[in-house]
Amino acid sequence: MCRFLLPLLALLLLASTVQAQSEAETFFETRIRPVLAGTCFKCHGGNKVSAGLRVDSRQALLGGGQSGPALVPGAPERSLLIRALRHSATAEIKMPPNQKLSDSTIADFERWVKEGAIWPAAAPGVDVFAAGKHWAFVPVRKPQPPHDSSGWAGGPLDCFIAAGQRERGVRPVAPADRRTWLRRVTFDLIGLPPTPEEIAAFLADSSAEAHARVVDRLLASPRYGERWGRHWMDLVRYADTAGDNADYPIPEAVLYRDYVIDSFNADKPYDAFLREQLAGDLLARQGPSETYAERTIATTYLALSRRYLTAPYEQWHLTLEDTIDATGRAFLGLTLRCARCHDHKFDPIRQEDYYALYGIFASTQLPYAGSEEFSSKKFPRDHFVPLLPPAEALPKLEAHRKKLAELRNEIDQIAKDPRVRLTGEQGLANKRMQEKLAELRRELFDLERTNLPADLPGAYAVSDGKPADVPLQRSGDPGQPGPVVKRGVPKFLAGSRPFVIAPGSSGRLELARWLTAPENPLTARVMVNRIWQHHFGKGLVPTPSNFGLSGQPPTHPELLDWLANRFIESGWSIKAMHRLIVLSQTYRLASVLDSANIARDPANSGYWHFERRRLDAEAIRDAMLAVSGTLDLRRPGPHPFPPMSTWAWTQHAPFKEVYPSRHRTVYLMTQRLQRHPFLALFDGPDTNVTTDTRTRSTVPLQALYLMNNPFVTEQAKALAARLLRGSPELGQRVQLGFELAWGRPSVEAEIEAARHYLERYEHELTRLDVPIPARELEAWTSLSRVLLGANEFMYVD
Amino acid sequence: MDLSHSMGRRRFLTASTTGLIGSALYPRLVQAAAVQEGGPLAPKPGHVPARAKHLIFVFLSGGFSHVDTFDHKPRLRRDEGKLVKAPGLRETSTLPLLASPFVFRPFGQSGLMISELFPHLGRVADDLCIIRTLRTDIVEHFQAVLAMHTGSATVPMPSLGAWISFGLGTLNRNLPSYVVLCEHMPYAGAQVWDNSFLPPYHQGVRIVPGKDPIADLHSPARSLRLQELEAMMLRDLNELHAQARPGDLDLRARSNSFETARGLMQEAPEVFDLARETNATLRLYGLPQGDRSSFAAQCLTARRLVERGVRVVELIDTGSNNNWDAHGNMQDHRPKAKRIDQPLAALLCDLKQRGLLGETLVAICTEFGRTPFTDAPGTHGRNHYAEAFCGLLAGGGIKGGMAYGQTDEYGLRSIVDPCHVHDYHATILHLMGLDHTRLTYRYAGRDFRLTDVHGKILQKILI
Repeated sequence: MCRFLLPLLALLLLASTVQAQSEAETFFETRIRPVLAGTCFKCHGGNKVSAGLRVDSRQALLGGGQSGPALVPGAPERSLLIRALRHSATAEIKMPPNQKLSDSTIADFERWVKEGAIWPAAAPGVDVFAAGKHWAFVPVRKPQPPHDSSGWAGGPLDCFIAAGQRERGVRPVAPADRRTWLRRVTFDLIGLPPTPEEIAAFLADSSAEAHARVVDRLLASPRYGERWGRHWMDLVRYADTAGDNADYPIPEAVLYRDYVIDSFNADKPYDAFLREQLAGDLLARQGPSETYAERTIATTYLALSRRYLTAPYEQWHLTLEDTIDATGRAFLGLTLRCARCHDHKFDPIRQEDYYALYGIFASTQLPYAGSEEFSSKKFPRDHFVPLLPPAEALPKLEAHRKKLAELRNEIDQIAKDPRVRLTGEQGLANKRMQEKLAELRRELFDLERTNLPADLPGAYAVSDGKPADVPLQRSGDPGQPGPVVKRGVPKFLAGSRPFVIAPGSSGRLELARWLTAPENPLTARVMVNRIWQHHFGKGLVPTPSNFGLSGQPPTHPELLDWLANRFIESGWSIKAMHRLIVLSQTYRLASVLDSANIARDPANSGYWHFERRRLDAEAIRDAMLAVSGTLDLRRPGPHPFPPMSTWAWTQHAPFKEVYPSRHRTVYLMTQRLQRHPFLALFDGPDTNVTTDTRTRSTVPLQALYLMNNPFVTEQAKALAARLLRGSPELGQRVQLGFELAWGRPSVEAEIEAARHYLERYEHELTRLDVPIPARELEAWTSLSRVLLGANEFMYVD
Repeated sequence: MDLSHSMGRRRFLTASTTGLIGSALYPRLVQAAAVQEGGPLAPKPGHVPARAKHLIFVFLSGGFSHVDTFDHKPRLRRDEGKLVKAPGLRETSTLPLLASPFVFRPFGQSGLMISELFPHLGRVADDLCIIRTLRTDIVEHFQAVLAMHTGSATVPMPSLGAWISFGLGTLNRNLPSYVVLCEHMPYAGAQVWDNSFLPPYHQGVRIVPGKDPIADLHSPARSLRLQELEAMMLRDLNELHAQARPGDLDLRARSNSFETARGLMQEAPEVFDLARETNATLRLYGLPQGDRSSFAAQCLTARRLVERGVRVVELIDTGSNNNWDAHGNMQDHRPKAKRIDQPLAALLCDLKQRGLLGETLVAICTEFGRTPFTDAPGTHGRNHYAEAFCGLLAGGGIKGGMAYGQTDEYGLRSIVDPCHVHDYHATILHLMGLDHTRLTYRYAGRDFRLTDVHGKILQKILI
């Protein structure tokens, strides 16, 4: 949808009916109180009562000051407060006197007064919200789908949408044609365009199950996990480097990438998926042994926490802040990080809650990817986790330890030998000893730096460390310890069951179980909202990683809860959610506009049409490779990092590489300190922080890339060759090009235009004395580049 | 040369021939388009009257020593070798004071004391304001470089240049609003000019001085005519696609971005073509003929970019290696200073001659200072130092020929008018017409600022 429409949203909100009480309170706490406190209290709050008016309570506003009552609930036009804020020419008072508030803030105040000037009885915080009034903190309800008398709805999901449309006074547009739906659902589920054969098969299938068959085919494709795994990788800020000052590579990170992709492909129940990522190492010990490696690898999620400075575990409180931030936002939709230095300003998260979680992660041993401060000061990798159960791993580790001890011993013996230090003529004889010493030291460091022995596969994963409760850090400063906080989960979400950590363990397994308990009001809601978001381009909750009070409430709260229930009932099956959504009538709507609907619901909050979307970075690159026929669909092996024995990056010369590839974009090597140039250009995720929504920018540098970059030209050339091979006849070649790139046949006028274009192009090539054999391919390459750069390629209707 | 004219703007496709035209545009959408015309980078008014339209931010990487450059401490020579408490990154020790090996002398009418490392900058002393009391939080390159650029030493945040682009837009849509001339990657890499949570239009565009400063500027087509032909075909197909989808302004915006890109292809080579400068100008900068990548070339390019309306130009001198990080010997500053002294002075003179200095703020800074004591006993170098260091400002709105703040007799601590990095940022924003407390962006449920909850404007240095 067009971003230019967003300002109109405020108008729409004004016209809508009065919100539920809890929403009105949220509105007050997030939009009204901060302005009153920040702008008005200076003169009209506390001890200051300019013009006899205080604005720090509803009562005070109703009573008013020297100019009479400031507030008439329900009547903005008769409220002096509103007239003063508007600075209108006829207003007797203009507030604030120096600077008018922004139009959107004034609109907030108008809405607040119009809706009755709701002012929650108590201050925000635990008192008000521990009672569970905020929509996201109350248990998931089980709403019944409303009846749709129009007959439009195809299932319960559509019934909720239809009810929302009735409320907004909008009517759904017609469904999209079958080609459009196929291209949409194919990009959505596997991130690639449908092939001409797939299009033909679907168009020929007139059975009632045709759509369902397509969805089953797509969900069964290994390409599905590569698409949806990537969405997850955004959330967990996946990168192939550690993000320390030298940005050391983590060759083992790809194990986790593949774990994510495989989990999506296997439709691993989402609750198990989360538990594995938080506590897979602990679950692994419970067997069966064939899942040992997989579950251990899952905890790479925790290990991927951002690193700072150079030496092992420096600024550790910041690394754990990143762990808590990612876990809070990605899994729970909570901005837990805000409570690091003080109680959360909006949500009932106390500073103690932050350090209760902090204790759990501080009791966990994270690995260290190694680094180097100066050429002399090297830090080997540490605490990588074996992928074999202890019974098999321990003998190997023991042998390794022994080998290291022997080496160290040997080095000590030589170093202690007084002959080593002899110089001059006597020293000559011992030069060999010194060389031997250097060689042994190098050998020792190479063995140390791999951390695990060569015959023991390992992962950048976690294990339990020394379990301990930690002191709260005043102002978030580890140098100012406060009282010790017992490890646990945020009090306001703890539920009635006590949070008991098994003796001697970190508490991660208990955290994982609490997080995925069906009673948890956030986990299922947050995930179904994300699935919805990637199908429709926006969530039912517009702030997908913030379900707290400063986030935005859902447009369809009942639908959200219904989906969350279905999600849990289906055994947390993500694929079941896809089926539910993409087979709905709502998902099938055309992406056309309608002037009557626009007037009532310009932001399309009622889902009266489908919103056209630009392909994201991965889909752009993958689709180009697919259309040109050069995409390598195999899963690549490890990244071609240089051998570990040569690693010597420092903050002065950090690791920095871009590896060329024809594999799907999800498999590109991505770094933390340096963004991959292609992904950076097309709004790829920031690998340093959890990303819930990609930005979609349109900048000239992207156009330069599409017009001039050698990669694009290479794909255009391959596509041209494919078209030339496909048919001797121009019309059929153009047809094939349109089918491949845009998923539709060309109309006669387009074929004529292409013919005309190619003639002009080849004529010019002739004028430039280009030899005949080269002309045809060059002209078709140009036309192919146009097909790949055009809006019709880049957008999905 | 505009070939579209010579080709008579002949289109390959017209809507009428294909019958693909949709229904009429919606009046409200057209209105919305008009309101938003110019897009996110259109020039915007600031919060306060602007003293400068452009910022040239010169970053000297590695940490140049304050007591060897712009903060004269004769007592260091008298008390050389005296042991003082020496706070380091991870522990505090005791180390001997180290005198500067460089001679200072007064320059200009103002008599500003500047060391022999910068004779050319000395000649423009009366245009310089030296801030002698800068202070930062973490004394490690990576974190301090981030802090100087984003106000945050740890968590990735938008860069100063991105904030200014976000706050003010830009004056020439054919060029990026924030250009970073950077031959070698600095500490913290691209985070230094990142937009972070701000819209991506505000990200600094890194230009590697040399033959191809902007990526993908050269068409693969054999001739300009072929290039124009292809652009026209694309425009036509996009136009038809958009006509069949009335009301979607994103489609038009994307189509237009190709036109802008073509503007860039036309304009950029000219911007970076220093051969168009007179010999007198090249001599002023000390630029050899044909040189495109020296620091002098970067300075001259900065002037050309500012002339053409670029809002923020950043020059990064050296990168994360072989820079101002003089642990071993302060004499290592000599070649570094020689590389930049004349070009920087020339930049200020050149801007002044062209009447651009009044509307261009030039900031010259580094990530931290260097210890007035030795790096280790027996060495002639200095370690990283966060408590006091120097930054320079010149041009739009700045009082020249003055020093702001005062450090103690050894340059160990600020004793008059300390200036945190946040204060430096607040002042730069103020001069650009932006109130640092009002330049905010709502992200993850909270309003963020370049200066977080800090920052005060250095009133004494404003004209």
